[in-house]
Amino acid sequence: MPALISLREVKKIYQVGAEAVYALNGIDVEIRAGEYISVMGPSGSGKSTLMNIIGCLDTPTEGTYEFGGEAVHEMDDNQLASIRNRKIGFVFQTFNLLPKLTALRNVELPLIYANVPRSERLERARTALEQVGLGDRISHKPNELSGGQRQRVAIARALVTHPSIILADEPTGNLDSKSGVEIMRILDDLHRQGNTIILVSHEADIAAHAQRTIHLLDGKIEREVVHPVRA
Amino acid sequence: MLSLLWETVRIAFQGILDNKSRAFLTMLGIVIGVLAVTLMGTLISGLDRSFERSMAFLGKDVLFISKYEWFSDRDWWEMANRPEMRAEYAEQLKAYSDVVVAATPIMSRGVDVKRNDNSVLGVRLRGTTPEYLQTSFMNVGHGRFFTEGENHSGSRVAVIGHDIAEGLFPNENPLGKKFRIEGIPFRVIGTIDKQGKFLGLFSMDNQIIIPFGSFTRLFARRGFMEIDVKVAGNVAEARDEVRGVMRRIRGLRPLEEDNFAINQQEAFESQYRSIKLAIGGTGVFITVLSLVVGGIGIMNIMFVSVKERTREIGVRKAIGATQPLILGQFLLEAVFICLLAGLIGLGLAYGGSRLIDKFVFPSTMPLWLGALSVFLSVGVGILSGIAPSFTAARQNPIEALRYE
Ligand SMILES: Nc1ncnc2c1ncn2[C@@H]1O[C@H](COP(=O)(O)OP(=O)(O)OP(=O)(O)O)[C@@H](O)[C@H]1O
Ligand SMILES: [Mg+2]
Repeated sequence: MPALISLREVKKIYQVGAEAVYALNGIDVEIRAGEYISVMGPSGSGKSTLMNIIGCLDTPTEGTYEFGGEAVHEMDDNQLASIRNRKIGFVFQTFNLLPKLTALRNVELPLIYANVPRSERLERARTALEQVGLGDRISHKPNELSGGQRQRVAIARALVTHPSIILADEPTGNLDSKSGVEIMRILDDLHRQGNTIILVSHEADIAAHAQRTIHLLDGKIEREVVHPVRA
Repeated sequence: MLSLLWETVRIAFQGILDNKSRAFLTMLGIVIGVLAVTLMGTLISGLDRSFERSMAFLGKDVLFISKYEWFSDRDWWEMANRPEMRAEYAEQLKAYSDVVVAATPIMSRGVDVKRNDNSVLGVRLRGTTPEYLQTSFMNVGHGRFFTEGENHSGSRVAVIGHDIAEGLFPNENPLGKKFRIEGIPFRVIGTIDKQGKFLGLFSMDNQIIIPFGSFTRLFARRGFMEIDVKVAGNVAEARDEVRGVMRRIRGLRPLEEDNFAINQQEAFESQYRSIKLAIGGTGVFITVLSLVVGGIGIMNIMFVSVKERTREIGVRKAIGATQPLILGQFLLEAVFICLLAGLIGLGLAYGGSRLIDKFVFPSTMPLWLGALSVFLSVGVGILSGIAPSFTAARQNPIEALRYE
């Protein structure tokens, strides 16, 4: 089975004044559909940078990135927007919901950009919210929800487009441990249902939910650990 | 695609609702701009209408010869010291010139009139000849005008204006009845149909016309006199000819200045044109100024809005909004604010134009001006929204998401 995601010799170099910062310094990764991956590493090791590139929010300075056979490193801005919309679901540490919109409207948003008809949109948004256990909170605004509930709305927004991959950058970082456990249970369920997930975390026990953990250090892959229990 | 457009409209509208007070404040410039341009248009339309109606009193082919020019920078005293007009000029003009169709002297003064207990004060009394019927545009609705014979014999007969008929003869037919002008009895032989006011100022219904002979005999030998001349053919050429005849009558040598004035409707028209230009110019100036100020205000607000919603832009981009969509969202928002402002301005202007219509003079707001102001508002929206919208669309999604 060919890899869904394939990065070769990927570098991300930031020019800060006269100095070149190698946020990523030669990354080779392959991820197959249905995999559950976690990324660990100290602060500044390049985890978020890697996630942004995989999520098509950013393009590599050097190297190639193919997503489902398409050369992402050659895409222009609008093509990147389109692939983000159709193939990728983001879950952020800080939720990033639109505060003025209800849960349902927030979840509906990616479908608007996907040009899905209204009735289908609302139906799918409702289903996604039910899937994360928020079927009874669809008309609440973000400030009327707890942190854990907000993150669940964000997960619903990520899955509503049936993306090829869900990217979660420290999804439990802003949550208490009980809410964190809940979020991890939802992600585990999504993986069990066949979704591909990449998760960034500082915490070893959270990273251990994945089948495979990639350890980054100074923009390079230090090592990979396969968790035998889950693999 | 239609659903996407609609959603963009909805999102943009939401953006305005979220910042109601701020949006309304920035609308002020546009509101004033639209108000200025439409009210100015209404004013001019009303002026046009009343001006045209007033000009009908004068007639395009009638020349008004007297000491005074209607509109001139000439010293008033200089004109006052010119020789008086004389009644004979009317006959001489007709005799010396082919273009003169009719000519009549008119003397006038203010008088009080009385009948039994009824009186009317400050009436304009005119003494003239039957040819006045040809140089003026009034209609003797009841009875008749006086004859050449009555004129020569100085008969005490009078043709009275509408207001005089109402004032002296309420609820009765004035024809054949007697009344007194400054104590001297006259008999009504005709009434003039209601004419209205000249330029909204001087009532044309407040006059009494009597034979020239009677006027000079009973009221004044000398006084302000005007000769009204109706001409045929090209008015400008006729005017030149009449001027030549007048100079001959006055015995002026080639280098001497005219010591009389020949006025015509045209003088009012050119005067009116410059007034109109001044009103229009002021309106356009206020409009442009307030639209520019309003546009800059809206541009600022849009920049602030883009800054405040940096994170929102990041989120939208992360979930798949393309640059054109973000651009469209903010541009539509700016256009909406301006369009709304334009419509508010239009609504106020409509109310204002109704008030002008009711209390100042009959007028209507020209429809094309309404359309133009809506068009202008949209234009200002696009112009002031374009730069902020591009800033929004060009945001780097990662930086936008990180923005605090
Ligand atoms: N826009 C930028 N300009 C310059 N340097 C940058 C930029 N973005 C990231 N970096 C640098 O790249 C490196 C990797 O950053 P990244 O955010 O990927 O780290 P991280 O592993 O996610 O850290 P953390 O655990 O703190 O989130 C850091 O040294 C950072 O300073
Ligand atoms: Mg990070």
